[in-house]
Amino acid sequence: MRTLVVFMAAAALCIGQAKLPQYSKETLPNGVVIAMMPRAGVPLVHFRVLIKGGVESDPGEMAGLGSVTSGLLRRGTTKRSAEQFAEELDFLGGTFGAGGGGRGGGGGGLESATAISSEFLSKDFDAGLDLLSDAILHPAFTETEVRKELARRVDAAKATKDNAQASIGSYFRAAFFGPAHPYGHPPDEMTYGKIGRKDIVDYHAKFYCGKNMLIVVTGDFDINAAKAKLAQVFGAAPAGSAFAWGKAPALARRGQMLLIDKPDATQTYFEIAQPGIDNKNPDRTTLEVINTLFGGRFTSMLNDALRVNSGLTYGASAQLEQNRLPGAIVISTYTKTDSTVQAIDMALDVLKRLNEKGITAEQLASAKAYVKGLYPTRRLETMDQLAALVGEIELYGLGRDEVDGYFSRIDAITLDQANATIKKYYKTDDLTFVILGAADKIRDQVKKYDPRAKEVSIRAAGWVN
Amino acid sequence: MRCFSALLFFAALIPAQTVQTATLANGMKVIIQEDHNIPNVAMYFFYKIGSRNERPGITGISHFFEHMMFNGAKKYGPKQFDNEMEKAGGNNNASTGEDLTTYTDWFPSSALELMFDMEGDRIRDLALEPKMVASERGVVYSERRTSVDNNNGGILREQLQAAAFIAHPYHWPVIGWPSDIEAWTQQDLKDYFAIGYAPNNCTMVVVGDVTVARVMELAKKYIEPIPRHDPPPPVRTKEPEQLGERRIVVKKAAQLPLQMIAYHVPEAKNPDSIVVDLLSTVLSTGQSSRLYKRMVDEEPLALSVNGRAGDALDPTIMTFTIQPRNGVDPARTEKALYDELERLKTTEIPARELKKAKNQMLTQHYSRMKTIAGRASLLGHYEVIFGDYNKMFTIDKDFEAVTAADIQRVAKKYFSENNRTVATLIPDGSAGGRRGRGGNQ
Repeated sequence: MRTLVVFMAAAALCIGQAKLPQYSKETLPNGVVIAMMPRAGVPLVHFRVLIKGGVESDPGEMAGLGSVTSGLLRRGTTKRSAEQFAEELDFLGGTFGAGGGGRGGGGGGLESATAISSEFLSKDFDAGLDLLSDAILHPAFTETEVRKELARRVDAAKATKDNAQASIGSYFRAAFFGPAHPYGHPPDEMTYGKIGRKDIVDYHAKFYCGKNMLIVVTGDFDINAAKAKLAQVFGAAPAGSAFAWGKAPALARRGQMLLIDKPDATQTYFEIAQPGIDNKNPDRTTLEVINTLFGGRFTSMLNDALRVNSGLTYGASAQLEQNRLPGAIVISTYTKTDSTVQAIDMALDVLKRLNEKGITAEQLASAKAYVKGLYPTRRLETMDQLAALVGEIELYGLGRDEVDGYFSRIDAITLDQANATIKKYYKTDDLTFVILGAADKIRDQVKKYDPRAKEVSIRAAGWVN
Repeated sequence: MRCFSALLFFAALIPAQTVQTATLANGMKVIIQEDHNIPNVAMYFFYKIGSRNERPGITGISHFFEHMMFNGAKKYGPKQFDNEMEKAGGNNNASTGEDLTTYTDWFPSSALELMFDMEGDRIRDLALEPKMVASERGVVYSERRTSVDNNNGGILREQLQAAAFIAHPYHWPVIGWPSDIEAWTQQDLKDYFAIGYAPNNCTMVVVGDVTVARVMELAKKYIEPIPRHDPPPPVRTKEPEQLGERRIVVKKAAQLPLQMIAYHVPEAKNPDSIVVDLLSTVLSTGQSSRLYKRMVDEEPLALSVNGRAGDALDPTIMTFTIQPRNGVDPARTEKALYDELERLKTTEIPARELKKAKNQMLTQHYSRMKTIAGRASLLGHYEVIFGDYNKMFTIDKDFEAVTAADIQRVAKKYFSENNRTVATLIPDGSAGGRRGRGGNQ
């Protein structure tokens, strides 16, 4: 423990400011970027490999291609069967997780990259790196494993619909972003049906290459030895070319409602959304603080009204999405079927109040303290959190000031600035409504939010046909 | 052995000596671990009260009580606990189980005294205002609708548990039966506070950027003056031996069927309990586990399968949860499970496979120790459920001691037909969305 304490105290924070521990970065001749943050102490090493593209690189009709590809990485390589890989990984007690971006995609909220995370005991650095690099660089994508993976995903998409809370997110993305937008086509039975082995092999060849790969290593390891090993293994990857980010396409038409019918539901789930920001927007820190007050903590305006004061729900919140492309500001909650309209109206009323009255100096001070107080446990405590943070900084070119200047940026927010930002983003018109519940019992009442509402059955294949 | 000894080395890095304990004059035990990595603190309160201390008519009241603990006391009125805490940069949660109710506070170390003041206030003088009770009833009912009524896994688990236990209080759900949620009274709540929230029925754990001296100073100031009183009466009812397989069916609108199969297994303190944990790892942790290989990978029978038993104060159940694939008759997943359980009984597990399970369990255990919150949770868990927080540091030796013969013996002892309850959720024809095939035969 003493070792742990002495080292970490030096690394994580100085008085009153968050500080990102130092890390080194280098680029291999084939373009692979390697960022390393050694931290003596807990004898674990964490690898996070990012492949640029994520859902942005999926062809629309084959949504899920990037995610399927990453899911298959460990299912057999040129030198190991899937079973051998699993056996070796489990024997080390290691972890290996891979996913495409997006809510429910396993990418840790990343829309713009595939993230592969793996953790091993430090003394297993070599064995762990061998497994990880074998999966990333030499997957076999056998016909059998491809077929199994796709069939499982089709069934999993169906199973998701047995959980209303889990499925509304996909309906929301389809409705809010629309089919022209890379965030707007969550994979479904049909898109998986169009993916074949060749698509996966081609995807891997195109994107899992030097210029499109970022590797972050954190934890207890020898930096010089690690550097040599990583260079040797990943330096062998073909250089290829980096994924070119596209421009943000237009969102779906605003001000619409999608009603999803689940006849047996005794509770209605709903999301109300409007356009928000991307992850480099200069208003983002101010918006984080405002959204904390609006719907980002227990005492938030939404939770206070819908849960604490009225008992209409177990929880009401608002998310401020921050991805490479502009996302949404989304109110989400649920309530029993017969209080559906009461709850929606109340959420809209809270939004209207925020828009018209803004916030007070006292509220602003409280939210600032809250965001700063929890930041260390949310982002700086463990080596996997630090690897995720370094990954974001490098992937998006944010710079270490993203962390080091964070508390100063929060401190600098003035009340006038906060209230002007509220007026700019928290609008009360042209909202998108996504409502999931027993349609026969709520259809007539919720029509008032959009008389031309589209309705789908939860039993229908896909998200929005 | 190579791998295993390296894992032991890891445990040695966070030695038990860094943990200090004290018992206040009113009987509350305090466990402290200093860790100055980040300027934050995890402060947890473990009350030894949960749904096992309830009775018909007031099922779910422990959980409801957990909610009421945030709704105002004497010094800090309604909403103030959360308002003051968030203003000071902290947040909180709480959870209720069959055995324990746990209050979890996370905050910057600058808020330490405020947290002691507010925790002391609500332990001593909870207000239980009728208006707040009425509103919170709606909140809890919404929680039930979300976690049970509109959640196929939740509803099947509730029915399974009610069938597996016919006498012991683990029979009823922690969230409570709907009619009880609607009916409990102000007096029920007052009575419950009086039995459950004795300081001598609570263990406090503080991990993070604190000093032992400061924590003890504040504990003496804010917590120690709260008088001790009688703890909840002992739970007398013991679950009688199961005399034959029990089968239940839940019909519900669903895309896919769902299956849960439970076996009675012993309480956490029983030496067989750790063997059951290793068994569950062998069977369902990782893609190399027996059930994953058999049911998810080699044969397209299930989307997922896992078997787990929690650490419990009283004899509990180990539950296998299986999500059958589209079109697969749950009778086939059931048979595949029994085949694998039979194999454990008839053939001794290879040494390397047992070692693998031990390595997996140890790295998982250490992984939970990475955060101050994880360690606060484990220290309290071992102290209250096993009677000694030191278990957190010595459990590796318990893993090490388990032999292949233990695995075989325990599999034979508990995985019998007479000891199992089989619950299957079958998609209701009117809304299942599937045409005829599979699932319902």
